[in-house]
Amino acid sequence: MAEKIGGVFDAFGLKTGKQKFEYTAAGGVYAGENVYAVLQAPRGDATEALVLCAAWVNTEGELNESGVALVLALARYLKRWSLWSKDIIFLITSDSRAGPQAWVDAYHDLHTPPAVASLPLKSGAIQGVVVVDYPTSRGFESLHIVYDGINGQLPNLDLINTAVRIASGQMGVRTTLQEMWSHDNQYKDRLRTMLRGMVNQGLGHASGPHSSFIPYHIDAITLQAYGDGWHDEVTLGRTVESLFRSLNNLLEHFHQSFFFYLLMAERRFVSIGTYLPSAMLIAVNFTIAAIGLWLKSGRLNDKEENKSSDGKASEGKNKLLESAGEVPSAAEQPDVVSEERPLLLSMAFVVATHFLGFMPLYLFNNLDEKNFTSAFYIFTLLNVILPPVLCAIFTKSFAPTALHFTLIKCFSLLLLGMFLSALATLNFSLSFLIGVFASPITFINPTPKRKWTVGAAWMALLQGLTPTTALVGVALYWGEPLSEILKEAAFGWRVWGMWTQVVVWCVWWPAWIIAGVLVAGSWAVEA
Amino acid sequence: MDRRSLTVIIATVVLRLVLFTAFPSLPNLLTNRVELSTPVTSFKRLQEGLFLYTHGLSPYDGGVFHQAPLLLAFFTTLPSNPIVVYLVYILSDVLSAYSLIQIAASGVSVSTPYHTSSRKSSTWPPWAVAAAFLFNPFSIATCIARPTIVFTNTVILTAIAKGVQGRGVAAVLALAMASYLSLYPVLLLPPMVLLAHDSLPAVKKKGRSLGSFAAVLTAVFTVAAAVLGALSWGITGGSWEFLASTYGVHLLLPDLTPNVGLWWYFFIEMFDSFREFFLCVFQLHLAVYLAGLCLRLRKQPLFVITTLLGISSIFKSYPSIGDTALYLSLLSLYRHIFPLMRYTFFVTSTLLYATLLGPAFYHLWIYAGSGNANFFYAITLVWSLAVTVLVSDAIFAVLRDEWETERPEMKGKEIVQI
Repeated sequence: MAEKIGGVFDAFGLKTGKQKFEYTAAGGVYAGENVYAVLQAPRGDATEALVLCAAWVNTEGELNESGVALVLALARYLKRWSLWSKDIIFLITSDSRAGPQAWVDAYHDLHTPPAVASLPLKSGAIQGVVVVDYPTSRGFESLHIVYDGINGQLPNLDLINTAVRIASGQMGVRTTLQEMWSHDNQYKDRLRTMLRGMVNQGLGHASGPHSSFIPYHIDAITLQAYGDGWHDEVTLGRTVESLFRSLNNLLEHFHQSFFFYLLMAERRFVSIGTYLPSAMLIAVNFTIAAIGLWLKSGRLNDKEENKSSDGKASEGKNKLLESAGEVPSAAEQPDVVSEERPLLLSMAFVVATHFLGFMPLYLFNNLDEKNFTSAFYIFTLLNVILPPVLCAIFTKSFAPTALHFTLIKCFSLLLLGMFLSALATLNFSLSFLIGVFASPITFINPTPKRKWTVGAAWMALLQGLTPTTALVGVALYWGEPLSEILKEAAFGWRVWGMWTQVVVWCVWWPAWIIAGVLVAGSWAVEA
Repeated sequence: MDRRSLTVIIATVVLRLVLFTAFPSLPNLLTNRVELSTPVTSFKRLQEGLFLYTHGLSPYDGGVFHQAPLLLAFFTTLPSNPIVVYLVYILSDVLSAYSLIQIAASGVSVSTPYHTSSRKSSTWPPWAVAAAFLFNPFSIATCIARPTIVFTNTVILTAIAKGVQGRGVAAVLALAMASYLSLYPVLLLPPMVLLAHDSLPAVKKKGRSLGSFAAVLTAVFTVAAAVLGALSWGITGGSWEFLASTYGVHLLLPDLTPNVGLWWYFFIEMFDSFREFFLCVFQLHLAVYLAGLCLRLRKQPLFVITTLLGISSIFKSYPSIGDTALYLSLLSLYRHIFPLMRYTFFVTSTLLYATLLGPAFYHLWIYAGSGNANFFYAITLVWSLAVTVLVSDAIFAVLRDEWETERPEMKGKEIVQI
């Protein structure tokens, strides 16, 4: 494939380059060869470039026949013009997932040779990328604009706006977003578009060949031809041409204020000022609960101390201050932590649980794809019994009091709130979705005097809100088997540098485990 | 050193070695973090300076390298194996911990000739103080990132350890070395003199008034600094260029690379005509605390040193996480005043928040391009706020502790400041 297309580019008089790559993830090998050509700008100085890209095979595995043909045709057509002030790179990747990543990594010299080869030919800083995906040779009905980047990063809204304006305004092609093939621009459809966008953003996977470019601060979109209609290659070609002329006229980057948005329809978006408070409120809920528990733990502590030295205690409130010097037994023992809040044990437990999260992270990123399904079932099973077992071990070996459990919950919620609010600035949707799933954790009460039915009900609810359930949910949403999802995640980790699973296993899962331990503690402490 | 201290030290040495060797990309990743490496401490810039120096060029050409010439001489004698460099940094941390153990064992933080805290039973044992320093994630990250602030911290702690043993000359020599490495420790000279004088054994103390003692030590300090300067002059081939490129950078702030401090943004935004004025104001601001603290906390010079280190970790021209780690490790000597502090939870959570949000906002600004400098600056403000609250809260707690020791009947009572 690369030879042939390279020959075609050569025949146009363009400088061409080829790049071989090979990735291994979850036991699978992903190899291929990219081929590209650089059209040197007649009016530019090769400091800036635009990329027109088509993958040989699109994300659905279909042969992108018209897309590749269109890129070749445009290469010949655009070369005749003298108005380009930015270089144009025509890139044909052999697949939609690994190829673009290998190419863009090598373009910025961040690849890992020899698995990914270096590029023989480069141009200036890439300003924009348009990917064409047109897998049929029939006419199409509408243009589907795909914009999600890896880890939920988005391209500048102005690029999407430009594409929408050109397609619908000049060419009369309908544009669609997030696979909403019919959109009546009413509340329900807008909501569905937004939610689909949020799920895609939250998962943080690559939704098209353009996704790999976005982490490099390059604005990129994929134009997908969809449906049966009377538009043909010429319409798509003119759209791309117009888009490139718009990008060519840019004097600098798109303005920075349009990177945070949720699209509801092609011309409507929710801006960060409106949506961020929701994720922040959810994250702050955990922090406020942690502060509340901290204050409460101070009072719990007083009560216990009053009990232990009943006659001597004067005012409960000042007890904390007094105790350090007064209690005679404390003078001998070096470990005086017991007089205040027993921080060390609770802190160690929370930290240890968070480190425990690296185990599933490592496991699911490094297993072979054949073992994914069985590993997942075993893990789910373990997940069910892990909190009670952990709780039993904890209570047996350290004899914790109710105060310990309060503090464990306090630190766990504090960490969760902190992680989620930091995450909300990077990937709003992921933070929001995890926050919603985790919100019941706030209300789990670590008092030991619960009836077992309530505890069991909590446990059942918690089991319904695990990361493993969420994985099953994602599998159902996409209609693909579980192993596929895990494979995609492992592939994303290795190739794309996707860190959704780090958040799931090292932020959400530990918080969930601790919630489970608290529920189990309801029985354990009393017994 | 008892067995526990030894265990702690061995455990952290192993931990650091594992971090260095098992994650080969980690040292470079951390070295590039602006929170850990500043223009005046960065390991990368040190390597640049070394390269120029070993090739017979002036290391200060090009304006990248701003560190003391003796560091060059030291690193050129080392074999170029990275493991050796790792070991040097680990050894430096171990020496810091050893000094901390000595300081904690002396008990100066709870009882000085003029003040003995009524809470002295609740201090941490030396091994716990060492552990609080060695296991502090900030210290570990600083060690892995290999900025030269690690050596400054070691020398400062050594100086304090000598000070609490009453060995004034040794303390001041170490302090001269610290000041030579990164200038601002010079502010610690007065409290160090006080500390050394207070810690003198009674026999020796009789013949020497504080004034003459201070005069001698200041003279020693000046001579030591002069000798170090002359050595540097020799090392750099008889040129005084290093003065402007090291201390000049500390004082005049020509390099505005972001860091956790408050200066860089302020001086980026400022009109040039006001620059000199505000440089003076900012530098004086650092020195302004010295006299007041020395007078008010005359009974506890070690706490004056601790507080000054805390203040300079906020307000100096190129602060980094390593400075805060030093302050936190010295603060762990004051375990007995923790119950008197009012904002520990607030400070801890704010520091944690800033630790997480700082890198996130830096990423948004530099890599994702969807944020701007204000994002990161806002977080450095939050960070500085947390450390400020911690410093002032610790001062409050120590003063309260002194007050309660004077007037035991007021223990635990509410107080109102008039």
